Amino acid sequence: MYRYDEFDAAFVRERTSQFSDQVHRRIAGDLTEDQFRPLRLMNGLYLQLHAYMLRIAVPYGTLSSKQVRMLAHIARTYDRGYGHFTTRQNIQFNWPKLRDVPEILADLASVEMHAIQTSGNCIRNITTDQFAGAADDEIIDPRPVAEILRQWSSLHPEFSYLPRKFKIAMTGSPNDRAAIRFHDIGLQAARNGAGETGWEVWVGGGLGRTPMIGKLINSFVRHEHLLSYLESIMRVYNRYGRRDNKYKARIKILVHEEGLETIKAQVEQEFAEVRGGRLTLPGEELDRIAAYFAEPAYERLTASVVDVPREKILNPAYGNWLEHNLNAHRQPGYVSVTISLKPVGGAPGDATDTQMEAIADLAERYSFDELRVTHEQNLVLPHVRIADLRAVYDGLVANNMADGNAGLISDIICCPGMDYCALATARSIPIAQELTRKFESEARQRDIGGLKIKISGCINACGHHHVGHIGILGVEKKGGELYQITVGGDATENASVGKILGPGFEAEEVPNAIERLVDAYIARRVSVDEPFIAAFRRLGEAPFKEALYGNA
Amino acid sequence: MEILAGNELLSGAAVYFSPSGEWVENLQAARTFAKEEVEARDTVIATSKRTHRIVGIEIETVTVNDGILVPDRMREKIRAEGPTAPYAHTDRQHLSEDGHVSI
Repeated sequence: MYRYDEFDAAFVRERTSQFSDQVHRRIAGDLTEDQFRPLRLMNGLYLQLHAYMLRIAVPYGTLSSKQVRMLAHIARTYDRGYGHFTTRQNIQFNWPKLRDVPEILADLASVEMHAIQTSGNCIRNITTDQFAGAADDEIIDPRPVAEILRQWSSLHPEFSYLPRKFKIAMTGSPNDRAAIRFHDIGLQAARNGAGETGWEVWVGGGLGRTPMIGKLINSFVRHEHLLSYLESIMRVYNRYGRRDNKYKARIKILVHEEGLETIKAQVEQEFAEVRGGRLTLPGEELDRIAAYFAEPAYERLTASVVDVPREKILNPAYGNWLEHNLNAHRQPGYVSVTISLKPVGGAPGDATDTQMEAIADLAERYSFDELRVTHEQNLVLPHVRIADLRAVYDGLVANNMADGNAGLISDIICCPGMDYCALATARSIPIAQELTRKFESEARQRDIGGLKIKISGCINACGHHHVGHIGILGVEKKGGELYQITVGGDATENASVGKILGPGFEAEEVPNAIERLVDAYIARRVSVDEPFIAAFRRLGEAPFKEALYGNA
Repeated sequence: MEILAGNELLSGAAVYFSPSGEWVENLQAARTFAKEEVEARDTVIATSKRTHRIVGIEIETVTVNDGILVPDRMREKIRAEGPTAPYAHTDRQHLSEDGHVSI
């Protein structure tokens, strides 16, 4: 993992001290709320429906055991004993008190964490594949470049007041697990004709009220030119992005309105100016950063296979967990383990302080002290010996985190919704809870297979509903809540935006409506090997529309 | 009818302006303002802002049913009673000892 250098440590320490002073001045009445609000937001402190909410950055979703223990300490000491992992690989605390926030930030700084740039019209946390540096399908580990982008984008003076917030996601694998085509900039590792590794650059993707799939603006940018190229995009956006209407201020609108070719020409013109200049990344600097992400000291093991069918007979719950919660590792004898934060009836992404302590212990003992946060609101132990899987599973069972449901219908993405969020127009967590109860049976979930449900409590789409195979959007209607259902979204390299098939549903109707969609799929799939999204693409809307609304 | 809702600075707790001139946790203790009381309502808003202790003051409409104040917006119902999830009785935020504000 990256470790702060003296500059990083001093900077975070000074910012913490600065904000502490601002909090004291606010409480003393020397700052008005109008003056204080932008200062607290710059430090990740929002005021939500019931209380303050502190959003803490988890750079590219990577955490150490020590950091997770500190998050547990914060949950226990200053909050209500839990934290909420978000779709941007960050963590939020829902109940901090203003007086405690300086101490929380000081505690975070002591483990090289902060809440800077988790709000505001700046470049937010860079997100990436949760299996980075471990996945067997990876071309390169994206984390060194993600760290370089973090350093470049942190308090970048030119890009601290953009037309709107800006999100970058990257993956080192051709199989996109980071939803890069739905970010302002998406980066995907690529090889050119000469076999050299670089980056595909996608631009103008996004969700929210105007969902758009990113467009390929450059099919190959070399490592050394990546910062120059990204700065060129940012400069064009900063110059021409709309500031007259916040709903049209994201880069996706600029690209859509001006056209990709126009934007590309402007970026290329800018790139021609800056290419080869101060942002050129020396190979030795990339190597220096990459050294922080060197492979852990793996044991030399012979390739071994997890005998899932055998384990399913011996212990169905363990077998089910093995079947769904493992990801192939590049190192023989190792796998990556997804820790589900989606228990039946739970709030997706929530973890208690006790669970966080347990996860930290497991990471320390079995995964070289490393953890990842996924944009699907789960956690990952990236490097686990196959021989240790049973011990890891038993540790998860003891802490109620052993659901073998990764990628299944109960592995739901869900924003906090109107139970917590001041912007929400409807609740989302209760819908997720009911759906997990509806589809509680492990056998039924296995039969349904891979199916991603994503729920948002407002059009801002923090719950990524547009890219759910089944998406659910809560809206306010006549003082109540109504839920629109979309079908056919996909956040992967086969990106698509879900379609609304008809009128919305009352909350209590949603679980049955989703069940009808699932039943329609099962009745029409070619075989159990045809996933929901593939069946939808083959069959089209008609049978699913009929399932939801009948023939009328 | 209208009420005034806001968040108390230190705790962030949802609070309501009461007839006694205090900002209180209990929605049912909120002062209601009739249509013709716009001036009084706006005076309270301006005075409360000067305390620097109440944040994000909003005018919310309520309906009075058998003497019970019922916010017209679902959002305000949840705000008054606390989150409905993950537990049906998730406690709302409360004022800390030094969180009581009068105008």
